[in-house]
Amino acid sequence: MRYKITHQTEYRYSDPVAICQNQLRMFPRSDAQVVVNESSLSIDPVPDSIERHRDYFGNLVETFAIESLHHRLDVCVTSDVTINPPQDAQSVAPQSWEEIASTISTSRDEKTLAVGEFAFDSPRIGRSEAFADYARRSFASGRSIIDASLDLTKRIYKDFRYDTTATHVNTHVEEAFTLRAGVCQDFAHIELGCLRSLGIPARYVSGYLRTDPPPGKPRLVGSDESHAWISVYAGHDVGWIDMDPTNACLVGLDHIPICVGRDYGDVTPMRGVVLGGGLTTLQVKVDVEPLS
Amino acid sequence: MSEYSTSAQRYDECKTADGKVRPSWQKVVDEIDALGPSGLNERSQQINQLIRENGATFSIDSQSAKKKRPWKLATIPLVIDEASWQRLDTGLKQRVRLLEAVLDDLLGPQRLLSEGVFPPELLWSNPTFDRVYHQMPGADGHRLHVTATDLARDNSGNWWVTSDRTRAPSGLGYLLENRIISGRVFPQMFRRCFVRRVAGFFRILRDQMYSLAPRMRDNPRIALLTPGQDSYRHFEDAYLARYLGYTLVQGRDLAVRGNQLNLKTLGGLLPIDVLWRHVSDRKCDPLELEPNSVEGATGLLRTVREGNVAVTNSIGSVMAQAPAFLPFLPSACRFLLNEDLKLPSVATYWCGGKKELSHVLSNLDTLLIRPAFAITGNAPINPASMTAAQRDHLIAQLKTQPHRYIAQERLLHSTTPVWHEGKMHSWHLALRSFQVQTSDDVHTLPGGLSRVSDDEDTLGESPHAARLSQDCWISCEQPAGDLQTLLPRTGAAIRITRSGDELPSRVAEHLFWLGRYAERCELIARLLRTALTRLVGEQEISDLPEMPGLVAALATIGQIEPDYAIDGLGSAMPDLELHLPSSVFDMSQPRGLQSSIQSILYNAAAVRDRISIDAYRIIKRVGDDLATPGPVQTGDVGPAIERLNRLVTDLLAFSGLASESITRTHGWRFLQLGRRIERTNQTAELLTATLVQPARNESRLNEAVLETTDSLMTYRSRYLGLLQPEPVLDLLVTDETNPRSILFQLERIDSLLRQLPSDTNEVGLGPDQRIAEELLHPVRLSNIKTLSQREAHGKPQENGKREALEALMIWIIDKVPALSNAIEARYLIHTGVTQVITGQVAPSVDDELTP
Repeated sequence: MRYKITHQTEYRYSDPVAICQNQLRMFPRSDAQVVVNESSLSIDPVPDSIERHRDYFGNLVETFAIESLHHRLDVCVTSDVTINPPQDAQSVAPQSWEEIASTISTSRDEKTLAVGEFAFDSPRIGRSEAFADYARRSFASGRSIIDASLDLTKRIYKDFRYDTTATHVNTHVEEAFTLRAGVCQDFAHIELGCLRSLGIPARYVSGYLRTDPPPGKPRLVGSDESHAWISVYAGHDVGWIDMDPTNACLVGLDHIPICVGRDYGDVTPMRGVVLGGGLTTLQVKVDVEPLS
Repeated sequence: MSEYSTSAQRYDECKTADGKVRPSWQKVVDEIDALGPSGLNERSQQINQLIRENGATFSIDSQSAKKKRPWKLATIPLVIDEASWQRLDTGLKQRVRLLEAVLDDLLGPQRLLSEGVFPPELLWSNPTFDRVYHQMPGADGHRLHVTATDLARDNSGNWWVTSDRTRAPSGLGYLLENRIISGRVFPQMFRRCFVRRVAGFFRILRDQMYSLAPRMRDNPRIALLTPGQDSYRHFEDAYLARYLGYTLVQGRDLAVRGNQLNLKTLGGLLPIDVLWRHVSDRKCDPLELEPNSVEGATGLLRTVREGNVAVTNSIGSVMAQAPAFLPFLPSACRFLLNEDLKLPSVATYWCGGKKELSHVLSNLDTLLIRPAFAITGNAPINPASMTAAQRDHLIAQLKTQPHRYIAQERLLHSTTPVWHEGKMHSWHLALRSFQVQTSDDVHTLPGGLSRVSDDEDTLGESPHAARLSQDCWISCEQPAGDLQTLLPRTGAAIRITRSGDELPSRVAEHLFWLGRYAERCELIARLLRTALTRLVGEQEISDLPEMPGLVAALATIGQIEPDYAIDGLGSAMPDLELHLPSSVFDMSQPRGLQSSIQSILYNAAAVRDRISIDAYRIIKRVGDDLATPGPVQTGDVGPAIERLNRLVTDLLAFSGLASESITRTHGWRFLQLGRRIERTNQTAELLTATLVQPARNESRLNEAVLETTDSLMTYRSRYLGLLQPEPVLDLLVTDETNPRSILFQLERIDSLLRQLPSDTNEVGLGPDQRIAEELLHPVRLSNIKTLSQREAHGKPQENGKREALEALMIWIIDKVPALSNAIEARYLIHTGVTQVITGQVAPSVDDELTP
C-alpha cells in the first residue's frame, strides 16, 4: 500500500520570536515493512542552520534554528511511503508469554539485549501491580503472546472511553488508567505499562492512520491526525508485532509508522524552545492520501 | 599531644596502636606541643578570621531559610606520608581509567552487557540513563577530565572508596582556600614537613582545559558554567574561575547561534571553545534534556555533536558515579583493562540482583540503604535505628522496586587529631581526592579535601557535610621537587588586548546595580547621619529649623514612612526622635538603608569574580555588619551613628578601590554609570525636599545639605562661613568641577555612554544617549540666579518657592528612570522570556545536582 502523507505544523505568535530552536521526529525510516520512496521538509521562515542525526532508537531527527525575528513558523513534512504487509504471525509456532518474559529476565544473547530495555520503566511509564492485575485477565498461563496481547488490546478498547477532553499531552499514565479515558497516546501508554509489568518488552510507535471517508462522501484533505500504537515483542522468531488499542486491531496496511521509542517522550514529533513569542497558537494538519 | 587518646577499634592517622607518634606526624606533633593550647587557639582564631575575610560561602539573603554557613577549616592538618600516598595514588589513577572505560562502553557498544559483566538491568532500569547521552562524543578522546573519589580508611589502615564523582565534583575551590590559609597560618611547619604542592595539579588542569579546545587555537575561550549565585557551588566556582583565569558564566550568559556556543557580551557574541560545566547533566540543554532548566544553553547538545565545543565532563558522565555500579567494578576492571582493581570499594549490594536482595533482607541491621543510581545529599537509611513499622515499609519497598536501592556495609572510619573548642579530640575522617585525566595520563592531586566529625554518620559524601574540613598534607622526607606556581602556560602566546568587550551582559547588569545601590546607601547613610547628629545636640528637636527638610528628604528617598514628609512634622517630632535611630536597623522599608545594603551584597556576590579581593572584603564587612542586629532599645542614637560612620567609611573605601583597581573597561563603565545615575537622582530628590521651599533659617539647612553631600569642606574653602543659597546651589547643581554636583554626574554619564560599544550601523545618538543629552543641556544652561530666585506664580516673592529649581529637579527626577531603562534595554536585556512550546519531557528522576 502506498501513501502520500503531508504533516503541516503552524505556529502563530502574538509577539515576535527572536530565536527558536526546534527538533523534529517526523520522518519515516525504511525497514522490513516500510519503504520510504521520498520524504521532504520545508520550513518557513528558512532556518539559519539545520542538523540531522539518528537518535538512540534509530529515529531520524532534524534539529534547526531560526535566528531572526519572526511571527509565525510553518513546518511541512511530506512523505511518500509504501507499506508492506506485516509477516504472518501465525506462520511461526507461537511462544507463550511466560517464555518471552523468562527469556528477557534470564537470557543475555544479542537479540535479547536488543529488546530487553523495552521491558523496564521509562520516563513516562512505570510498571506497577495495578497494571499487572489488569493485564493478567488476558494473560492466562501458557497463552500465546500474540493472543494474549491482542486480547489486552481489545479490552483496553472496550474498557476505555475515547475522549479528547479527558487528558492532555502530559497526562500521567496512572491518571488516564484511573479515568478509564483518553486518546491514542494514553491507550498506548496504558497497554505498554500492562505488558511491561508482566516483564514483556513493548515499544511506543508514533505514526499515521489511513481514515476512510463516510460512504459516498469525498475524502477530506487535512482531516487526519497523528496516531500512536504499541509494538509487542513476540519472541526472537516473530519479532515485534504492532497492535492498536485505540482501534482494537492488529496493525496492518492502514498504519504508517514513523518513530519508535519507550514512550511519547522519546518520539515527540516536534519540540522547541522559543525566545519571546507571547501567546502561541498551534494548528496541525495531517493528510494521509492513499496512492494505490 | 600526650593527652591525645585513640580508640583501639579505629586506625589513627597520627598514632600507632601502641600510642607512638607516626614518623610523618612527628614534626606536626612537635609544633602542636610547642604551641600549647593558647597557641592553637590563636591559630584557630586566625584561620576563622581569614575565612571570614575571604568570604567562603556567605549568606547573600539573610531572609532565606536556607542560610549558608561559613566554611570551617580545622586547625591541625591531616598528614599522610608519601610512601602510603603513592600506593593510594596508583589505585586512584587506575580507577579513573576504569570509570572512563565503563562510560565509554555504556554510551557506546555496551559490551559490558553482552559479555555479562554488568546485569543489563543495571542500565535498563537506570533512570539517569537518558538515551540522548548515548554516542555523545567526549573531548580529546575522553569523557572524564576532572574527577573525584571519596575515601575512608578501615581499622587496619587500608583505604576504601566510598563513592566516585564523575559529573562535576565540588571541593577544588575549598581545597585551594584551605591550602592557602594553612600555608599562611603554619608557614614554618608547612616547610619543615616538605609538603607536596598542589599548584602543579592546577597547572595540569589548566593546560588540559586548553588542549580540549576543538580547534587549534592559541588562546581558546574557556568558560566555567556555574548553576547560579544561589547555588552552594557559587563561592568555589567564582574562586576557581578567578584562580585559573576562566570566564565564570551562568546559563543566561550563553547562546547557541548557528552551530556554535557563544558568550553574550556587550560587544556581541563571542565563541566559547571549552565549557567546564558545573551544572547537572540533565540541565545542560532544555531542547533535548530537561525542558524547564535555565542553567544550561538551548541547543548545546547539537554543538557538542557537531564537535564545535568541548564540554567537560562530557554530558552523560554522571552515569559512571552510580553507586549501583560499585559491586561490578572489579569484574569490569578485569574485562575492560585486563587488570585487577587496586582500590576496593566499600562492600555494596545492588538489590536488583535476586541473591543480593535476599542477602540484604537477611542482614538488614548491619547495612545502610541508599538510592542505587543518584548520589543525594540525604543521609542513608539506617534500618538498625528504625521502628518495626518503618522497617516493614522499607522491606516492602525493597521487594517491589529492588533495582532502585543499594545496601552498603558500614565502614569504620579512621581517626585523626582535631583541635576544637580548646581541646584535642580524636575525630573520624573522610577524604576526597581529585584527579585530572589528560590525553595520555591521569594526574592525582597530591592531597585532598579532608572532612572530620565526631559523629561517623555525618561523614556523608558531601564536602559540606561533617563538621570541619582539613587541609591534607602529603609529607615527604626531602623537599618536594614540585615547586610550582600558576604562572602563565608555557608556550602560549597571549594577544595583548585592552578591550572589555568580553564582559558578559549579565555581569554588566550586576555591576550597574552594584554602583546604584552603593551610591544609594552612601547618600542615605550621610543624610541619616546629618539628621542624627543634630538630634544629640543640646537643642530641642522643635528648635532645629533644618529638621523638617531633612526628614522630608529621608521620607522621599524611602528611608522612613512617607507620612513624615506630609504632616509638617509638628505632631510627629517626638515619635521621630525614637524612630530615626532605629530606622538605621530597619529591614522592613523596601527602599531603605538595610534593603539597599542587601542589594549591594546580592549584586556583589554575583560578580565576585570580577571585583578585587580587597574590594570584596569591604563588601563582606558591610554584610557582616548587617547581620549583627541593632540595639533592641529604640532611640539610642550613639550606636546608630557609629554604625553609619563605619558604613560611610566602608562605602567610600569600596568606591575608591573600585575606581583604582578596575581597568577602564566596560565593567568599570557600568559600575560608574550606576553610581552617577543614582547620585543625580538622589541629589535632585534631596534638593527638592530641602531647598525648593527652604526653612526660615536657611543657612543651617544649607549647612546640613552640604554636609549630606560631602561638599561642606569645598564650600568653606571657597566662601568661608557665609552659607548663602546661590553658591550652595551652584556647588550642588551647576559646578562641573564638584564631583558631587548634578552637572558633573550628567557630563560623566554622557561621556561614559559614548564609550560603550555601539552598533556601527546606527546613525546618530542611541535612545540612551538622547535622554542623557536631554538631561545635560537644561542643567548646563541653567542660570544660578534664576534657580535660587524665590517666587510665587512666576513673580519674585520673599517667602515663595524656588520655582525654577523645582521645575529643573522634577525634570531630572522624571527623566532619570527613563535613562536607566534605556541603558538596560540597549545593553543589558539580551534575553526575553523563554518558553518551551512542545515536547514536555516527564519530570526528571532524582538527579538534582548534589554536593
